[in-house]
Amino acid sequence: MSITKLNETALQSWVDRLIGQHQVYGVKAKGDRFAFGPLDDAAELRLDYDVTILPPKKYFLPQSQELLKFSRRGAYQPVGEPAPFVLFGVHPYDVVAIAQMDEVFSKDNHDRHYMQRREKAVIVACDVQKASPNVFAACMGTATVQEGFDVLLTRIGDDYLADARTPKGEALLQRIEGGADPDPASLARREQLWQDLNRFLMRHELKCAPAKLPGVLDQQEEHPIWKKRAERCYSCGSCNLVCPTCYCFDVQDEVDWDLENGRRVRRWDGCMLAEFALVAGGHNFRATRAARYRHRYYRKGKYLWDRMGQIACVGCGRCVTACTADIANPVEVFNTLLEDR
Amino acid sequence: MSKPTVAIFDFACCEGCQLQIVNLEEELLDLISVVQPVEWREAMSDKADGDFDIAIVEGSITRPEDEDRVREIRKRCKILIALGACATFGGVNKLKNKFTMDDVRKCVYGDAADMPHLSTAPTKSVCEVVQVDYRVEGCPIDAGEFTYIVRCLAMGTDPVIPSYPVCVECKLRENVCRFEYGELCLGPVTRAGCNACCPSAGAWCFGCRGFVDDPNVNAAKDVLEKYGLTIEDLNSRMELFNYGQEPAENVKNG
Repeated sequence: MSITKLNETALQSWVDRLIGQHQVYGVKAKGDRFAFGPLDDAAELRLDYDVTILPPKKYFLPQSQELLKFSRRGAYQPVGEPAPFVLFGVHPYDVVAIAQMDEVFSKDNHDRHYMQRREKAVIVACDVQKASPNVFAACMGTATVQEGFDVLLTRIGDDYLADARTPKGEALLQRIEGGADPDPASLARREQLWQDLNRFLMRHELKCAPAKLPGVLDQQEEHPIWKKRAERCYSCGSCNLVCPTCYCFDVQDEVDWDLENGRRVRRWDGCMLAEFALVAGGHNFRATRAARYRHRYYRKGKYLWDRMGQIACVGCGRCVTACTADIANPVEVFNTLLEDR
Repeated sequence: MSKPTVAIFDFACCEGCQLQIVNLEEELLDLISVVQPVEWREAMSDKADGDFDIAIVEGSITRPEDEDRVREIRKRCKILIALGACATFGGVNKLKNKFTMDDVRKCVYGDAADMPHLSTAPTKSVCEVVQVDYRVEGCPIDAGEFTYIVRCLAMGTDPVIPSYPVCVECKLRENVCRFEYGELCLGPVTRAGCNACCPSAGAWCFGCRGFVDDPNVNAAKDVLEKYGLTIEDLNSRMELFNYGQEPAENVKNG
């Protein structure tokens, strides 16, 4: 696979060429923040973003997604195939999160709705140029990434290095005009940048290696931190909804005016919402804020580890920013448990 | 199968929620394909004789004679739906309960305040006077949610109404949080279902759908300081739609 060096002008014309041929989603400004959205013009693309409000998982698991159309008589019809698209400017921590989601949705119950979209996507990752206020990817080993994407873009001075790692990525690189072979100095600077990102993308410092977290959480179900911090919890689910590794959804049927035909729709759900664990018969397995709050951290640090050997937190810091009550910082929770062991 | 009959009634309100139904325009034809309206002041001249299957009641109860009237409506229907904030929890009308009824009458009617037909009582929601089977929240109601509830009832299923706060829908729409702009937004304690229309349009949430089942108002008070806001700011913001609701006393879980 090849690496191409290109300047800002060549990058812009490359992106415009891609927009002309594909559906391209990229990072754009939204108010004072950033969000992934459809790109109409390369000038909209903001690769200098710090973090997006929602993670790019929304393109694989949309906030609201029609799964099938049905008739109450029993007939049903799955939705059509999704269209191919390019996802442009994904930060490394989000690349890691997508890889984790891929495993969740491909193993056990193979989720064709997710996997079809995933297979149609070409991912152009982009190394972080600006640290967001609460990022701690360096603690989670997700500040840089070497797999899980098709192309990696890295800004080196006024230029970019575009590094294809898959045949799909290589095909994308073929559309670059005005690119050059990378010089050794640029490649050396990229190595240095990766080292720096792995050291400095750390607004909060986790005082242990991520692999230690399952042990840190072991037998801490009765620790006072759960109840104390949950007193400030709105049960608003903001921490769930902005999380790149949260994948829970709810499924509802909606019926047309003929009361005969309808559609089955799934929407994002969240374990911090009061009725998340409410089951038929009216029992709620996690009826208190404290039980829900504790669950989230066990889920992130232990349950997913027990199932698939991964920590379900990539250190993007979105939950820390989204929580107006300031109780969602996983680093604070894990460090407290660590100190009290 | 014959269509269920529906009668729509208004009490003290701006009748804007009923107007939301009229504003369905061509979808009205769909609506009357599943229900048969028998009384509906904004849309038809007929009055219902006898009983009907469903009563839809908007507005607040603000006079003793209105209590009698809504109780009579309750007797005539099988299902009663409270329509909009005035009916479900009192809404803006509850601001009246801050004052004495004498002051309220004098302020509104001046010299005529003592006329017998202008007597008035503290505001109650419809839910405080009669048993209500379903609530359509909001000021005004969301027409999409209303038609969804009607379809559920016509099919004999229970509608699923969000128990979570507006923040959920606001996050799904990827809005920048109003608190990040230093604004006091009631989204974290207000029931969703409006698709976060106000925050999405650049305003804070006014709380017009009432509190979620278990609002954490204590948390709201803790959060104020972080954003340079005061308890007075919170109280005045909550007063518009939620005067007299006092959810802080209801905080159960910890």
